[in-house]
Amino acid sequence: MAHLADGTLRRMVDDPDAKVGADAAHLESCAECQARFEAVSDDARSISALLAVPEARVDVGRAFATVMGAPQARPALGLRLPFFRPSARPLTLAFVAAVAAAALVVVAFAANGFFFKPTTVKTVPITVADIEALSQLANYGTLTWTKQPELQATTSAADAAAIAGGLQPPVVAKLPAGVSTTVTYGGMSEAQATFTFSAAKAAASAAAQGKTLPTMPAEMDGATLTITVGPAVGEVYGNLSNPANGADTNTINLPQLIVARSAAPQATATKVSLTQFEDYILAQPGISDQLKNAIKAIGDPSTTLLIPVPVQYATSAQVTVQGVEGVALGDNTGVGSGVVWVKNGSVYVVAGSIKQSDALDIANNLK
Amino acid sequence: MTAVRTDDDAFEALFTSEYGRVVGIANRVLADQHEAEDVAQEVFIDFHRLHSASADYAPAWLHRAAAHASLNRLRGARRRQKREFAQAIEEGERTLDPQKQVEMDEDRRRVREALGRMAPKPAAVLVLRASGLSYAEVAQALGVGISQIGTLLRRAEETLRKEVTRGTSS
Repeated sequence: MAHLADGTLRRMVDDPDAKVGADAAHLESCAECQARFEAVSDDARSISALLAVPEARVDVGRAFATVMGAPQARPALGLRLPFFRPSARPLTLAFVAAVAAAALVVVAFAANGFFFKPTTVKTVPITVADIEALSQLANYGTLTWTKQPELQATTSAADAAAIAGGLQPPVVAKLPAGVSTTVTYGGMSEAQATFTFSAAKAAASAAAQGKTLPTMPAEMDGATLTITVGPAVGEVYGNLSNPANGADTNTINLPQLIVARSAAPQATATKVSLTQFEDYILAQPGISDQLKNAIKAIGDPSTTLLIPVPVQYATSAQVTVQGVEGVALGDNTGVGSGVVWVKNGSVYVVAGSIKQSDALDIANNLK
Repeated sequence: MTAVRTDDDAFEALFTSEYGRVVGIANRVLADQHEAEDVAQEVFIDFHRLHSASADYAPAWLHRAAAHASLNRLRGARRRQKREFAQAIEEGERTLDPQKQVEMDEDRRRVREALGRMAPKPAAVLVLRASGLSYAEVAQALGVGISQIGTLLRRAEETLRKEVTRGTSS
């Protein structure tokens, strides 16, 4: 038998139960592996000593109060990503609200001129502090749905397409191993949200925080930013059914895979240009220089959909999907990953608790 | 409103069961309890902002985030380290004799510098395992197969040993 691998020896140091079977027999009879085992064992001990620290004594109750009292503990933009956070409310409706809210912020950045329709995607690094700063925009005006999103879960692709004005849901060629074949289709009608900027509200909220507003463009008061999202169709793999009592969130399964297609979002502005909106948002206190620079560095902003990527926890990479440039998020851990791309006027998303390589594979074979 | 309350309850339960371990991981990296609690609280706040406390991956996410956030802070905060280690020693080991304290201080400083120079994944393997996570828990936090942990750990230990030696000789 070949000599034992370093990893096997290392595991034997930590776990006496690993010293079983053929490996244990080999170690017993092989002087070379015994010597290596001693070396591995010595290293493990000395590293453990090097990493030793005085034990931290914590007051969990006090720490919990601190965390819950922190203003940041409230969800950004007043909602949490329902994809990650199932609740008894309809998952999908909250998802649409999240997408619309994100689109509002992102599109306001990306747009140049009065009209915006993206044809490609790019990522911008974003920190928690940036999200906090952006969520304050809600204090600067009012957000209203001028066209409410209507969303329905259906059992067939045809029904979903009918709700989405004929937009056909994408078809997954082959599911990765381990992903449930239980599929729920969903369709969403076109939705429209309008943000109306209010100089009075902005001034009041700045004053409440003891800050001064950056100089406002002349026509900013009453200016509107209208975002149109959808129609959209998609399918969710995995069991979405809520528990019978509707209260125990522990029993809701997270979707393993979401595949969706949406008409590219569009933005229009009145009174001021989208560039002025962008400049004004970026002038707000609290937005990091890193984010400002990243947004300013994007080539042609009028055609680019920006995907905010939280720098601490997510990684992203430019990838080629179906012959166009796309963005891959997450990694190969299987905790979560996604691919986003824009093709022929539609934004496509493949995401789920799957490996990035699987997400890319599904994306490339999507029909 | 039931759902909201259940969600918050779930977060409190998660916090109670994992806060100590999350602080432990950060403290292992930073060797400073105050700094470690800062990191742990940021990690929980970030988690609560976007994720459901009842998600299966919650503990794994917290462990991974604690390791990476504290390693990031370590890399960004080398200049402050002397003060931090002095503080940790003052609070944790008043009983040691002065000569031993000096040696321990020096060892800790060197090993943290070495950790900061390592790639994130091997550094995280070392820190998570040293914080008492099982092979299965380390594997979950880093999203690798449990069978790889022995190998990753062994390589990471060799790297750390070389880095510590390099720090001594330079």
